[in-house]
Amino acid sequence: MKLTGVIKNTSLLKIIFIGSFFIVFFISSISYKHSITLSNSTDWVVHTYQVHLQLEQLISYLKDAETGHRGYLITHDSLFLRPYKGSWIKINETYHSLQELIKDNPLQQKHLDSIYHFMAVRYSYLSSNLQLDSNIAANHYRIDMNMEVGREIMERIRYEINYMIALENEYLIARQKKYENETIFNPLFTLLLMLFCLVVFAFSYIRINKSLYILKKSNQDLMVATESFKHAEEIGSFGSWQWDLEKKTFTYSDNQYRLFGCEPQSYQPTTENFIGFVHPDDRHLIPSNPLHIKSEDRITLFFFRIIRKDGEVRYIKSISKLLVDASGKELIIGINSDVTDLHQSSQALEEKNEELERTNKELASFNYVASHDLQEPLRKIQTFISIIAEKDGETMTEMTKGYFAKIEKAALRMRVLIDDLLLFSRTNRAEQAFEETNLNGLLENSLQELAQIIEEKKATIQAAQLPTLNVIPFQIQQLFINLIGNALKYKKRDVLPHIQIGYEMVAATSYPFLKAEKHIKYCKITIQDNGMGFDQQQAKNIFILFHRLHHISEYPGTGIGLSICKKIVENHGGFIIAESTSGVGAIFTIFLPLV
Amino acid sequence: MNNEPIHVLLADDDENDRNFFVTAFSELKIKTVIHVVKDGIELMEHLAQDGIKLPHVIFLDLNMPRKTGMECLNEIKKIQHLKDISIAIYSTSASEQDIEDTFVKGANVYIKKPSSFATLKKILKEVITLNWQYHTSGLNRDNFLLSL
Amino acid sequence: MRIYIKFEINKTCKKILEDQLQKLGLEYSLISFGEVDLKSNITSKQIQEINTGLQNYGIEIIESPKNILIQKIKDTVIEMVYMDEKLPTFKTSTYLAEKLNHRYGYISKMFSEITFTSIENYIILQKIERAKELITITELTFTEIAWQLNFSSMAHFSNQFKSTTGLTPSAFQRIMQRKKENILEEK
Repeated sequence: MKLTGVIKNTSLLKIIFIGSFFIVFFISSISYKHSITLSNSTDWVVHTYQVHLQLEQLISYLKDAETGHRGYLITHDSLFLRPYKGSWIKINETYHSLQELIKDNPLQQKHLDSIYHFMAVRYSYLSSNLQLDSNIAANHYRIDMNMEVGREIMERIRYEINYMIALENEYLIARQKKYENETIFNPLFTLLLMLFCLVVFAFSYIRINKSLYILKKSNQDLMVATESFKHAEEIGSFGSWQWDLEKKTFTYSDNQYRLFGCEPQSYQPTTENFIGFVHPDDRHLIPSNPLHIKSEDRITLFFFRIIRKDGEVRYIKSISKLLVDASGKELIIGINSDVTDLHQSSQALEEKNEELERTNKELASFNYVASHDLQEPLRKIQTFISIIAEKDGETMTEMTKGYFAKIEKAALRMRVLIDDLLLFSRTNRAEQAFEETNLNGLLENSLQELAQIIEEKKATIQAAQLPTLNVIPFQIQQLFINLIGNALKYKKRDVLPHIQIGYEMVAATSYPFLKAEKHIKYCKITIQDNGMGFDQQQAKNIFILFHRLHHISEYPGTGIGLSICKKIVENHGGFIIAESTSGVGAIFTIFLPLV
Repeated sequence: MNNEPIHVLLADDDENDRNFFVTAFSELKIKTVIHVVKDGIELMEHLAQDGIKLPHVIFLDLNMPRKTGMECLNEIKKIQHLKDISIAIYSTSASEQDIEDTFVKGANVYIKKPSSFATLKKILKEVITLNWQYHTSGLNRDNFLLSL
Repeated sequence: MRIYIKFEINKTCKKILEDQLQKLGLEYSLISFGEVDLKSNITSKQIQEINTGLQNYGIEIIESPKNILIQKIKDTVIEMVYMDEKLPTFKTSTYLAEKLNHRYGYISKMFSEITFTSIENYIILQKIERAKELITITELTFTEIAWQLNFSSMAHFSNQFKSTTGLTPSAFQRIMQRKKENILEEK
């Protein structure tokens, strides 16, 4: 029970482990992806600032050029032209690096290109100003005009640059937003997953711990069981063995060795060694082939004798069974037990039984022969008496006649006794076969047998429907005849006999004296009369052989009839009881086993 | 009744019973010819003779030495010209089982030897009368069963 | 194999009688069952001839008027008992007296004198024979048979059956059943 729990746990643990592994892997990959996104967005910030810086530089170079150019125009000092001269190259350099930075953005490129164009225009104006001599008045106006246009171009450039910076900032904000969107759930998500993993690990830990505990306990129990089994083997004097059919090896328990009078593990358990112990006369009983046990499919049982190491002969009962484990390994397991005591006592019992059976048979046949053979001479005595009475009755003295009448009466009584005894001896169970019989038919036969008395006594009989039972038909018919006959015989003087026969199926549990029996259900048949009844104190005695309640002159009888009833009912494994109130009537109840 | 005497054959090993039987018949007002044999072998030998007058009824004791009444019954029922003779079993024991078995084997009458001479006479007369009825009054002989 | 036959004894006898009489070339007319009117007087030798012819069949000429009466009584009883329907409930004594045109007392006395049994016994015997036939041939229950044959109760029927045959109706039925099976087995 507990071990299966452990096994279930291991498979659960497997599932948990695989699940956890994938969860951790998932978390790691998500984290990795987020770090990459983070570094990308930093690059973009740098990129935006670079574009910003370069554009500022671009304008500052232009301003430098303009300042130098203005200084020269005022002072005509060529020193002022130096920044102007170098600025165009620098502007070109910055333009190219900017172009590089925004090469993936056509909109910005367009703007950059227009800036460059305006710058070039501005430079052309600057250079034409330089060529015009400021000292000439006409030139003076042109320069002013150029300056005016240059300022406008400058405005345009600034506007474009500002636009570009604004655009770049917009990109940055959008990217930052996107980045934030992507990363805002990252820590929470990671945290949750981590927590989940922690729970899983904690759960696994508890389960493993628990399983380990059960395993440990099972182990302990197993040890106790093994130990107690060892003791049981010793106390119950049996030994167990295993026969591995693949490796062809035997394993004996300690007591298996002791059973054969040897020290535990004192010899190699093999078929040959085992056969060596078996009584030579019984060796043929041992199945030489494991296939024999295998083919039996079920438990194999055999008995044999062994000669122990000390020379004592013991009786062994061996039970074996094929065991196939989960991996398909075949193993024959068996138990050998020492049944010497049992064997001896059962043998003694068997002998006693046989003797009893023999005695019973002798008694029955004695009964039969005695009563049968006694009939013969008795009948002759009676016949001779009747002949003498018939032929010489008239010449006899009154006294002789009286004696003859007495002899006749005594002989008649003896005849009835012998007849009843014969009937009693015939209710021998062994001679009769059980048959599935409808009791209604048997009752009808009985009533037909009793028809004369029933008619004479004007008796009424009311019978319930009876069942079909496995009985000895002749005996049950006799039972009915005796019980109904009894009811008719002991009728009340001034009341017409009325007999009621009832039937019901009853549970053994409803009657205390049936409880201990092996049958569950009984067929209960009651035969109730309105006759003179008897004293309830006599209820048990009336079934005793030769026991009579009435004086022979009142009611002739042998006291055998009810004994026959009892014997018949007992032959069928049933019970008969009598109940009565004197002067009211009697009820005889028969219980016959159903199931 | 018929003017022709009734032929009766008795097989019984007990001398007293044979005497009772013969005496009883002699006292009945029925014209009978009685033949008596001592056992089954003798009975079968008697029946095997040529030209004998076959009996109307055979009375058979069941318990006889050498050949029992039952064996005789079985043999007689197998012999074509004998099988229609009425058979009356004449025995000491009479369990219901015995009676039924002999009837099934073909006996017509089962007599439990009575214990009074008067009863014996009455019974024998009844058997002879009824047998005669079956022979003459067109009764179905298959239904001829009588237990006394 | 064995087959079971039901036959009408009256018809059989009549047929045999007619055959025998025709064989001897005698003119005749059958008055009733068991009574033949011959057109011419016949010699005792001829009577002897008829007798020998009929004896094989268990039929014989009854000479005395007493015997004729007895035969008539028997015939009437059989006729009565073997009616297909339920037996008449009126008193048999009255029935017989009317049918035979004699006082019952006379009939009864004559019957006992000749047959050594009383008419009552003879009627019972015939009724029981009829009952046996019904038991073996039909599938009627004992109660139905008792009713059909006018027995006052089952107990009365069983009692009479047993006192006549020594067997209970059930035992009789069982024996006949077993006999039948026995024969079938042997075949």
